[in-house]
Amino acid sequence: MRWLVRWWRKLYCRMKLRQLEFNAARYLILDLELTGLDAQKDEIVSAAWLVLEQGKVRLDSAEYFLNKEVKALSQSPVYHGIDEQMLEQGESINSILTRLAAALEGKILVCHNAPLDWAFLKKACQCYDLVLSPLAILDTMAIEKRRLAARTEPLNIQSLTLSACRSRYHLPDYAVHNALTDSLATAELLLAQSSAISSGKRLKLGQLLQRAAT
Amino acid sequence: MIPEIAEVKRFVSKQMPFSQLPEAASHFFSTHIEVIYLTEQNQHQWLRSGNLYLYLVRSGSYDLLTAHGEVITRLAEGDYFGYPSLLTGEAIKNQLQVNVAGLVYLLKEEDFEFLRREYKVFEQHFVKAHANRLLSSHYKQSRDSWSEKKISDVMTKGAVMLAPDASIYDAAKTMSQHSVSSIIISEQQKLLGVVTDRDLRNRVLAVGISPQQSIASIMTDSPKYIFEHNRVFSALHLMLKHNIHHLPVLNERHEPLGMLTSTDLLRQQKSDPVQLIGKIYKAQSLTQLKLCATEIPTLLKSFANNIEDISLIGKLLSGLSDALTARLIALYQLEHGEAPCAFSWICFGSQAREEQTLHSDQDNGLLLPDDVNDEQRRYFAGLGQFVCEQLAHCGIRTCPGNIMASNADCRGSLKQWLARFENWIAQPTPKAMLNCKIYFDIRFIEGSSVLYNEFATQLSELTKNELFFAAMATDISTNSVPLGLFQQFKLETDQQQHKYLDLKRRGVVIINDLVRLYALKAQIYKANTLERLDALLGATLLNKADIYDLKDCWRYLTQLRLKTQLEHEQLPENCINPQHLTSLERHQLKEAFYLIKQAQQACAFKFARGSL
Repeated sequence: MRWLVRWWRKLYCRMKLRQLEFNAARYLILDLELTGLDAQKDEIVSAAWLVLEQGKVRLDSAEYFLNKEVKALSQSPVYHGIDEQMLEQGESINSILTRLAAALEGKILVCHNAPLDWAFLKKACQCYDLVLSPLAILDTMAIEKRRLAARTEPLNIQSLTLSACRSRYHLPDYAVHNALTDSLATAELLLAQSSAISSGKRLKLGQLLQRAAT
Repeated sequence: MIPEIAEVKRFVSKQMPFSQLPEAASHFFSTHIEVIYLTEQNQHQWLRSGNLYLYLVRSGSYDLLTAHGEVITRLAEGDYFGYPSLLTGEAIKNQLQVNVAGLVYLLKEEDFEFLRREYKVFEQHFVKAHANRLLSSHYKQSRDSWSEKKISDVMTKGAVMLAPDASIYDAAKTMSQHSVSSIIISEQQKLLGVVTDRDLRNRVLAVGISPQQSIASIMTDSPKYIFEHNRVFSALHLMLKHNIHHLPVLNERHEPLGMLTSTDLLRQQKSDPVQLIGKIYKAQSLTQLKLCATEIPTLLKSFANNIEDISLIGKLLSGLSDALTARLIALYQLEHGEAPCAFSWICFGSQAREEQTLHSDQDNGLLLPDDVNDEQRRYFAGLGQFVCEQLAHCGIRTCPGNIMASNADCRGSLKQWLARFENWIAQPTPKAMLNCKIYFDIRFIEGSSVLYNEFATQLSELTKNELFFAAMATDISTNSVPLGLFQQFKLETDQQQHKYLDLKRRGVVIINDLVRLYALKAQIYKANTLERLDALLGATLLNKADIYDLKDCWRYLTQLRLKTQLEHEQLPENCINPQHLTSLERHQLKEAFYLIKQAQQACAFKFARGSL
């Protein structure tokens, strides 16, 4: 019986959430820099996040952490430019995740290509017995994929990168890539997408989640 | 410490005023802002009085509008808005229109206050930006008034046109089909001429020309025209000046778009300068003319209430004076016969600059050809006497300095006038400099423009004299702006111990003097200060920013001066007590005086290096 109640409650929350207006929800936009793309063997190098509420990305909420426990950076500095010396200034993955868990409280997690980031986060949490419980997860890449599919434009991997998506909404080009810049880039992309999808009407969270789910 | 986002910081530190501030300022800004995506749908949420922000545009394009929907400025990357309310605490009246959606950075009021307190340059930047906004919006506000509307807003659309080889009959038929009172004759989209109802009557029916003749034979060729983006006021001015009722309107490529008629203008206005001008031109007797003149003060008052840019009144009054003068000359000729030779009636000073007020006195003269004989001179003596006397009866005071065509000195031949000018130029005594200031603002009113142009050309040859420019520059620098060493106002005191600032003598006059000097140097034959400045944009003497600054200053001071004139403070004419201004107005006034001071110094440096 207990599981049924829990399941029921979960379903009900889901439903309420889907009815929530886009601007009424609070979001945590997150980006990770990684040593590779395999959540099983690669590691998190840095994590950064920002809070979006009432249609405003609050830059005073910015957080940026380096993981001082990275074992092997190998070739990845080519992408994120972070070297071992810089990592020494960082924090333990445990403390980063603890802060993230607190920050995520009552918010919706937003990432560009969320399955990847979520896989790394879950893997890392397992080691420390931590639970990240966002209200939901939004993926700007999946949202974009749905939008493009609806327009029957030819799709390839390149057309779904963060900067390719941004250029479609005429958002400025960001030359520097690090977790914090990219999380702002993702936040801005989400605002542009939601404005395009709503096309003047009130936007319900469900409209975005549906897109993210498929 | 909040981590900064490299891309945001990079952008912010490139913007004014952060590019001039220590890095900590851009760090503070880029870690305290909020980012929004501003769209047409959500724009109503922002720029509201409840939540004040400083807005910085990161991308996209927006128009800032007044409450009446008029564009104040276009906002694009790097532009700020929202600061006027932060500075003044006044409610937000402006609104946004989104052209292209994009990102905008918002800085909360308390963070703006922090930067203001912390960095003087930051504070100055926005106070100055606000002052500039006010200066330009002063001017733009006046668009409410009909005379500042664009021609394209009031004209009858759709040009009724015919080719020049069409017959007079075709023209009449086309006009009646379209029920218009005039028609544009054009070839390959180029304006050739105009034919009006009146032309059909006077030039065809009355003289018995065959309607089968080509329309080109009776049209008014190379007619006056106006561009669609010009202001209604310019059209009014042209119509007044040439006493015409139809003006073809052209686009930028000089293609005819339609016809602007005096009826179109009548529809636009409540009080009616056009009609009054029309009445002046039709006046058959002195009594009628004087009756018209008595309407001028009333008209002016109602006009002043209709328009916000009071500086237009100077133009209007000068236009009326021109009309009165022209009509008086015509009336004299009706009675005493046509002028025996060519002549040009010219005016000087404020009438020439089109800055006349109700208190301005006459400054005029007659220019005669060199071969004028004594008998002809007697005719013009009579004309000068008559016109000046009657102008005085019409309410335009006689000149205390006797610069009037009734004075024989002001009725010279071409050679005599040039000799007078040459004398002043060669011997720049203070008296001569004073004369130069009056006589070098000169405008042709009536008579032979050929004679006048001849004079203007020869005069400009005379002025090519560096010593003369140096003397004028030195003379200008002796008149100082009322600012002290520490940018405080230096007030004057009258007999009743009122403290005041003289906006005219210590501000407007200095700008006029400076601009006159530059215009003479650049060989510009205009008398109006703003027109001279516009013409100076094409010369290399002054850079564009300085020209715009001078224009803004001139407008601001003129506006302030005329405003106080209407409000009748207990002070001498053209004077104000700065204590009656708001702190922002005081700041703007100081800024204006400061700009004048700088322009004065630059001028002295440019022209008077040798003699100072």
